[in-house]
Amino acid sequence: MKRKYKNLKRALFIVLVAAFGFSGCKKILDVNQNPNNPDHADPVLLLPTTQAAISQVVGNSFQVFGNIWAQYWTQSPVASQYKSMDQYAPISTNFDNPWLNLYQVALVNSDLIIKSKEAGLDNIKGIAYLMKAYSYQLATDAFGDIPLSQALQPSAYPNPKYDTQQAVYDSIFMYIHKALPLLNANAVSPGEQDMIFQGDMTKWVAFANTLELRAYLRLSNINPNAASAGIAALYQTNPTFLTEDASITYTSTGGNENPFYNEAASPTLGKIQNVVASSTAVNAFKNNNDARLVRFYTLFIDKVSPVDSLESIQQGSYIQFPNKKVSTPSPLVGGQANDPTSATAPVKLLSAAESYFLQAEAVARGWAAGNASSLYTQGIQASFAATGAGDPTTYINTAPDGLPALTVAATVNDKVKAIITQKYYAMCGFQGFEAWTEWRRTGYPVFFVQSAATTIAAGQMPLRMLYPNTELTSNLNYPGTIPIYTHVWWGLPNP
Amino acid sequence: MKKNILTCLLLLLLCVAQAYAQDRKVTGTVTSKEDGLPIPGATVKIKGTQTGTQTDKTGQYTLMVPQNSIIVFTFLGFTSTEESIPASGVLNVVLSNEIRGLSEVVVTSQGIRREKRTLGYSAPTVNNNELTQGQNPSALTSLTGRVAGVNITSASNTPGSSTRIVLRGGSSITGNNQALMVIDGIPIDNSSIVSGASSLTAVDFGNRGNDIDPNDIESVTVLKGPAAAALYGSRASNGALMITTKSGANRAKKLEITLNSTATFSSVLKLPTFQNEYGQGYMSGSATSAGYVTGIDDASDNFSWGAPFTGQVQPWGQQIDGINQMKPYSALPNNIKDFFKTGFAADNNIGISSGDDKSSFYLALNSLNSNSIYPGSSDTYNKYGVRFNGKTSLSNNFTASVNFNYNKIQANTPSNGQNANGIWNALMQTPRDIAIDKMGDLNNKYNGYNPITNQYGFYGAFTLNPYWVLQNFSNLDDVNRVTGDVNLAYKPFKWLSIVERVGIDSYSDRRKLISPKYDFNPADESGSGLWISETNNGSYQLDQYNVNEVVHDLMITASHKFGNDFNVSLLLGNNFRERSTTSNLTSTNTSGGLVVPGWYNLDNSNGPVNVILDNISIRRLVGFYADLNLSYKDYLFLEGTLRNDRSSTLPLDNYSYFYPSVSGSFVFSELLKNAGIGDFLSYGKLRSSFAQVGSDTNPYSLLTTYGKTTVNGSFGSTTFPFGNVTALQVGSVLGNAKLKPEQTTSFEIGTELAFLQSRLSIDFSYYVNDSKNQIISIPIPNSTGYGFNTINAGEIQNKGIELSMRGTPIKTSDFSWELFGTFTKNKSNVVSLPDGVSQVVIGGFSGMSIVAAKGYPYGEFYAVTNQTDAQGRTIINQATGQPIPTTTGQYLGSYEPKYQASLGTNVKYKGFSLNVLFDVKHGGKLFSDTKSLVDFVGTGIETGGPRFGNQFPNSVYLDANGNSVPNTTVPYSVYNYFTSVINNTPGMFVVDASYVKLRSAGISYTFNKAQLRNLPFGALTVGIFGNNLFLWTPKSNAYVDPEVNSSGAGNEQGFDFAGTPSVRNYGINLKVSF
Repeated sequence: MKRKYKNLKRALFIVLVAAFGFSGCKKILDVNQNPNNPDHADPVLLLPTTQAAISQVVGNSFQVFGNIWAQYWTQSPVASQYKSMDQYAPISTNFDNPWLNLYQVALVNSDLIIKSKEAGLDNIKGIAYLMKAYSYQLATDAFGDIPLSQALQPSAYPNPKYDTQQAVYDSIFMYIHKALPLLNANAVSPGEQDMIFQGDMTKWVAFANTLELRAYLRLSNINPNAASAGIAALYQTNPTFLTEDASITYTSTGGNENPFYNEAASPTLGKIQNVVASSTAVNAFKNNNDARLVRFYTLFIDKVSPVDSLESIQQGSYIQFPNKKVSTPSPLVGGQANDPTSATAPVKLLSAAESYFLQAEAVARGWAAGNASSLYTQGIQASFAATGAGDPTTYINTAPDGLPALTVAATVNDKVKAIITQKYYAMCGFQGFEAWTEWRRTGYPVFFVQSAATTIAAGQMPLRMLYPNTELTSNLNYPGTIPIYTHVWWGLPNP
Repeated sequence: MKKNILTCLLLLLLCVAQAYAQDRKVTGTVTSKEDGLPIPGATVKIKGTQTGTQTDKTGQYTLMVPQNSIIVFTFLGFTSTEESIPASGVLNVVLSNEIRGLSEVVVTSQGIRREKRTLGYSAPTVNNNELTQGQNPSALTSLTGRVAGVNITSASNTPGSSTRIVLRGGSSITGNNQALMVIDGIPIDNSSIVSGASSLTAVDFGNRGNDIDPNDIESVTVLKGPAAAALYGSRASNGALMITTKSGANRAKKLEITLNSTATFSSVLKLPTFQNEYGQGYMSGSATSAGYVTGIDDASDNFSWGAPFTGQVQPWGQQIDGINQMKPYSALPNNIKDFFKTGFAADNNIGISSGDDKSSFYLALNSLNSNSIYPGSSDTYNKYGVRFNGKTSLSNNFTASVNFNYNKIQANTPSNGQNANGIWNALMQTPRDIAIDKMGDLNNKYNGYNPITNQYGFYGAFTLNPYWVLQNFSNLDDVNRVTGDVNLAYKPFKWLSIVERVGIDSYSDRRKLISPKYDFNPADESGSGLWISETNNGSYQLDQYNVNEVVHDLMITASHKFGNDFNVSLLLGNNFRERSTTSNLTSTNTSGGLVVPGWYNLDNSNGPVNVILDNISIRRLVGFYADLNLSYKDYLFLEGTLRNDRSSTLPLDNYSYFYPSVSGSFVFSELLKNAGIGDFLSYGKLRSSFAQVGSDTNPYSLLTTYGKTTVNGSFGSTTFPFGNVTALQVGSVLGNAKLKPEQTTSFEIGTELAFLQSRLSIDFSYYVNDSKNQIISIPIPNSTGYGFNTINAGEIQNKGIELSMRGTPIKTSDFSWELFGTFTKNKSNVVSLPDGVSQVVIGGFSGMSIVAAKGYPYGEFYAVTNQTDAQGRTIINQATGQPIPTTTGQYLGSYEPKYQASLGTNVKYKGFSLNVLFDVKHGGKLFSDTKSLVDFVGTGIETGGPRFGNQFPNSVYLDANGNSVPNTTVPYSVYNYFTSVINNTPGMFVVDASYVKLRSAGISYTFNKAQLRNLPFGALTVGIFGNNLFLWTPKSNAYVDPEVNSSGAGNEQGFDFAGTPSVRNYGINLKVSF
């Protein structure tokens, strides 16, 4: 009996040890601090993120859609990656990536900078406001109505509603106006963390003014009064405008290359040349004997017989030339997949040439004071300089689409036509999205054709991008799918 | 009166005294017939009385009995025996197990052995014999068709490839849906980490659950519902596989050595059906069919859209040194099939076991060496293992045991998918007249690649020579794994036992993914073909995973018998679990690749080394549980469990949660024993259970964090540092500090019936599982600035029935014939998702997703497809004759089958034994990129036949009023459709995944004792076997084995993205013991 009692004590002892061993539960279980990622970030580290994200959108996804829909480029007959764009048959998932990069990278990180409570961040916050304005303009120009007032607030608005494009534009102007007073050359500079101007605040002020001018001009059809009033107010401030490109310069270091080239060189696409020269743009350059043609494209000159290479093909006619090589976009614009020098092509958020053409248009419309011809000429000169195409004087004076086009223009519309057409040439390969966008606004240039591969009705053209599939499947306030041939608020119904 | 009483009393005393005087002592041991082990606790009673005793822990008893009485020996699970007393007074009794289904002993949660009749839930057991019948080296694959309610998918059926095992449907939207694997009471890791950038370029390194050697397994009990596994907590909410490994037999007379040796050959199970009418080339002309120029030769092409075969001898491939190779322009029907070689695997297991009264051990060594079906030795899998299980009983009521297993695995696994190194991808793009199977000689300048001149002579412009790929790309894997546990049991009293158990599972998995750097130009000088340069910057990726799990359990069990009929036992337990992992994935710069070709080291990175993942995680869980068992007589059983878990992954102020279960069993046949139907109904049981299981979340889900910036395009990305610029970005997943534990509720009702002395047995279950409040990262609109929110939301319901039957139509001493089968029907439904979210993507790619969509079964395919009218006819564009795509994705069916069934038989005649097992899955869907490939290049059967002037099959166009008009007039361009149009409708590559398989078959012969008399063997069995032998698919799947899956054992299933083909295995097996 005694022995048994001892055993019982032993059993109790074991139980007690076990129970005590785990009475410090909380302490044992307090191991959920993430050792892998910080939960706070210095705003100066978020700034390059916003800029690189915008540049990824402008320089990759929108670069492809823009350059194909602006008919600089078309699908190569020996590849197939971008067929659906020439077919005017993109699907909603094609737009998941740019939408994600705009909202989930560029905008949210800009917003976190703006909301930061740390001191001495005026310049960074100013740039962040401009990045926000730029991103929203990019998004609304592509998609139309977009979330803004309820965006970027996941707790309060898990399903952000879509604001009208008009409201989005109002906010764009407000963001630019908030940015300007913050941009101060004497305050702490972000330095190299600013990937666009390396902390040069004077250039950011010019960027803000140029962006504002671009945004007001976008309203030229839908609301000319607001546009002219806004531009008048802008000019009241004696604004400086960009005289150099606002761009990120890429390098040949892996991961720091031009985004479109980086995409083409990815193991998945394997340096396959997917885009080739479209006859729409190539013929227009040739009609003007434009020296920039061979800068924007790597043209095939010699052709083996039987003909195995073509200078350009009609937009969307890849099916007619199976297994034919066609001239490619040049490394200068980052468009040649197997040429590593494509890696260093810049992505231009706003270009110097564009700045002059915007000013020229404001003057031509009578909304600003100045000399339209001289601004126009400066625009062409800036474009020739940017492409290394030599002295533009002969071109300016003799090309049919050169200065004569503007000087003979009798009406405002004809002047605008000359300016936008010339801007179209300057934007080839560099700013495809903006060129397509300006065509949607003005209908210029007039030489666009319907893609040979079109799957939509005769006469219909792509006038907007589709809302992404991620919104369709996750946002209660998804406004419904709008076909790509429906114009956006500020756009012409049939450009 | 008083005297009378006294007399009576005296008489009685006399009788007693006399009886006492006539009693004698009987002793003996009660053992089990099956394993020779003593049976402790067996009841020994004098017939017709309540007098008796029980055997002690060594199976011995001593009883005083009157002369001429009969002694009855009974023990649950065994047929009771009546014996008279022998003259010697020593009565040893051998009890045999009752017939299957009546009173099996099964291993339930925490490794506790229970009699099946007491369980309120379905818990079928598969023993070693059934498990190893097909000689499949995967223990998980070997369960296919054996048990109802289990959905097993084996990706390629080669050693080391993935096997997914889901019980009663997927219940978690984004979490793990596979059954928990428990070996000897210790849960083990069953991760399936697929290498490669995505499932489009995946490398299947298998799942860790396949590491165990089936030869070491004694039995597997499948605990299907959470009820069965409530005591394992969260991890068992998907059910559990309770694996018991072999142990040495006590009282074995000698050292028993068993050698099991298997030689397996393998070949491809299914290839696409190809057309054999048209060869290499393309078509040209305008988009209307009439304008096409047919049959343009292009010797560099991957297209088989050329002219119909003529048989004419003509040049082909590149012209090198002015010379072209010549061949007839005719089909080579077997060019793909003959590319593959016969795979070979040798599987050897030596088991050594022994024991005495107190101790026993089992020691096994095993090796598995496989070189599978790709030519050369680039798809190899080598596994070595050691297992030691030992147990000893100490004199002071302690029992100690240890189980230990070590595995070493080294493998080289070719890549799946559409990379340069995808073998299947390259093969599928081979024209019908190209002898790809004859291009293995890479020294031949027409086949190879010259690293000195940097020229290639291979015919194809768009793919690499697969032989060269196999030699130059590799995906190496090196796993070292230790699992095991230490048990200490103490039984201070008969009614009390204390068990302490500590288990570990620790492994490292080191992977090297190698892709060469090259820049080859075509050697051709003729300028005729469109050979293009083939370049690759090369890459080297080093992935290291370390996983460590420690589990502790302390279990105290007390039992008591109230009167003769009531038994109560209560188990109280404490569980502690820690899982810590590190994952380090680094590669040379993604776009820069390698500096120097051939040097595979991170030092050779061209540009900054890419840190893909550097992650440490630790999680702990403390659980307390109680398990109360009540039984009344032999037929009424009730069990209740309650568990409390505290998880480190939940908010500290809300980290504790309780969940209960209750189950009951009623063996009604016990009451009918005397009703005269015993001959017909030998056993009948009703059971039911209700259970809840709570579940925690992943570590570090509570806060939103920042990470180094990477801005992704569709295929490329901008990375930081960017020159000197460094950057951070906010993470895309919102943290949630208010997470609550999730909850799975299950209800089950079932019956087990046995008829005609158990010659026929039936097990039927109906169940409903409901998973609510799931902790999921749900996709939120990106316009919120984030991609995912971790919340409690969503509900998945699985309902179904399971039926298994087993019958023995013939049973004589020499001949027996057994039939068995299962039927499973599971219906899953995503009942709810958070507001606004219509689906959560669980796999696929841009444009073709596998989703959990509200109102649909789990694993639904969502993709754009061709528009059809109400009668299912394809709507075409009247101008082009081509189908019109839908504007948004459509739900096209789930990868989960509508029902599964199996039918097997075992026939025995003397020493011969024959087994056959078929299994069926019906009604699931599969996305086949293989179809996409063979359609695109014009080799698929669909692209054969007339290529001009025909209308799209079963098509209509819509008239002005939107009415369907059958299309008999508008032809479509077959070429245009398959090379261009169909690619906009990935839904057209979703095909019926139904199949019937001859899962396994074998014949073996076991020599009898007489035959072995002069041989040194104790037992000898030889056999031939096959597994995954034949496959039947519906006509619409002319492409691949529907089990093929490119992304391992995860939730992304039914996804053939140019995956490794599955194989059929066949071979010989020798089992000998000394």
